[in-house]
Amino acid sequence: MSDVRLRLSGVSRTYRGGAGVHGVDLDVAAGEIHALVGLNGAGKSTLMKLMVGMLRADAGTVEVLGRNIFGTDGVDWAQVGALIEYPLAYGELDGRTNLLMAARLRGMRGRAAATAVDGAIDELRLDRYAAVRARRLSLGNKQRIGLAAALQHHPRLIVLDEPTNALDPSGVILLREALLRRAEAGAGILISSHHLDEVARIATRISVIADGRIVGTLDPDGIDIERAFFAMVYTAEATTS
Amino acid sequence: MNALIDAVAVESRKARSARVLWSTGALLTFGVATLAAVVVAAGRTADPAILAKLGPQAATGDWTALLATAAQVTAAGGLLAFGVGLSWLTGREFADGTISGLFGLPVSRSAIATAKLIVFFAWAVVVSAALTVLLLVAGFALGLGAPDGAAIAGVARQFALGALTALIAVPAAWAASWGRGLLPGIAVTVGILVLAQVSVLADFASWIPFVAPAFWSIHPDVDSALALSVVPLVPLIFGAATVMVWRRLQLDR
Repeated sequence: MSDVRLRLSGVSRTYRGGAGVHGVDLDVAAGEIHALVGLNGAGKSTLMKLMVGMLRADAGTVEVLGRNIFGTDGVDWAQVGALIEYPLAYGELDGRTNLLMAARLRGMRGRAAATAVDGAIDELRLDRYAAVRARRLSLGNKQRIGLAAALQHHPRLIVLDEPTNALDPSGVILLREALLRRAEAGAGILISSHHLDEVARIATRISVIADGRIVGTLDPDGIDIERAFFAMVYTAEATTS
Repeated sequence: MNALIDAVAVESRKARSARVLWSTGALLTFGVATLAAVVVAAGRTADPAILAKLGPQAATGDWTALLATAAQVTAAGGLLAFGVGLSWLTGREFADGTISGLFGLPVSRSAIATAKLIVFFAWAVVVSAALTVLLLVAGFALGLGAPDGAAIAGVARQFALGALTALIAVPAAWAASWGRGLLPGIAVTVGILVLAQVSVLADFASWIPFVAPAFWSIHPDVDSALALSVVPLVPLIFGAATVMVWRRLQLDR
């Protein structure tokens, strides 16, 4: 299926002590915002690390834009934008230079890079911080730089781990609008979060992860998704304990 | 190849704004030049007590004294400065958490690690050249006159010593990458420094790559110059090991 931007099949990765993710199947289609929700330690970040090669799966396969990420064909990573854990913001560089460096790491140079950076600065309202060194920025504004770096090249697949962390309400709205625009333009988007209200506003699909397993899905338009979420998580915990 | 060019462009831009590299480079160049100049100025006094303390080489108070002192200090101080610089260049990605942003890119981590080594060596060459120029300025300012043939050879040796010292600091990159932080790189640098200096003082094992530049700086003869041929083994082995660590890297600890 050509419109699947990300597919995980039977993916497992177990840390010492048994934690990790176990037999996860998950996909993200073009034009879709797929939210992954779970409590702290449920396995969201581990799963996202597996998607960009920060971790190798013990079992199963991860396909990005139709290619196995450890296969010989090679994934076109220039078409992917990810922010997992810390934003790529070097303290000694100002906001704009950080974004130019992120563009260069995706093979963008000269005018193309400058245009992409200007667009991201405008979209996430970073103009006040464009000439400020990142070490002087607040955590929230560093996060905005990291998000701009992940989005500015208009990737076909976007993977964001807890993207609203440290963002102020205005940053949350700007991000929401940026993601909706990209999904409308055909990007496949996966975001992880533990803020149910936030993901319900933008997600097309919500998958629930608990104890490293996908334990069900939630209807983003459901009336009481918080209750449904906890029922799913507690049932899963009762089953595994 | 394009990926490596992109990685070098990014790493060199980061390096140009890096306070650590500017301050370390300035400390080495001005520190060594000042120390050598002070020793030569002291050697030009007529006080026999001071002359006795300086020893026969430094007491001559000429270009030979200036360059011999600079070489001795560079062999130790240069290794420390270059080791700290390289530990920072590689280990800071782990310490700052920016390493997570270097996955899922068309520029591979192997290319980024290689670019870091290239930028490091370029920085070390610039610092070595600046130190050499500063020593010449110090010599003229002290009124040592135009350098003769031996002094010109000493100046060239000083520049080469800087570059060679940078090459033997490369294990710091491997240690900082393997240990995922600055401190392992600095610890390995100090270890190499101790090995080199103790071997020189004991007049032992001049053929060991880590020892050869320091030995050559103290005893620049044919044998010690020949021993320098093994120095490139250090960046080749530890440079390859560094790239391998970055290629296989998993953020699992």
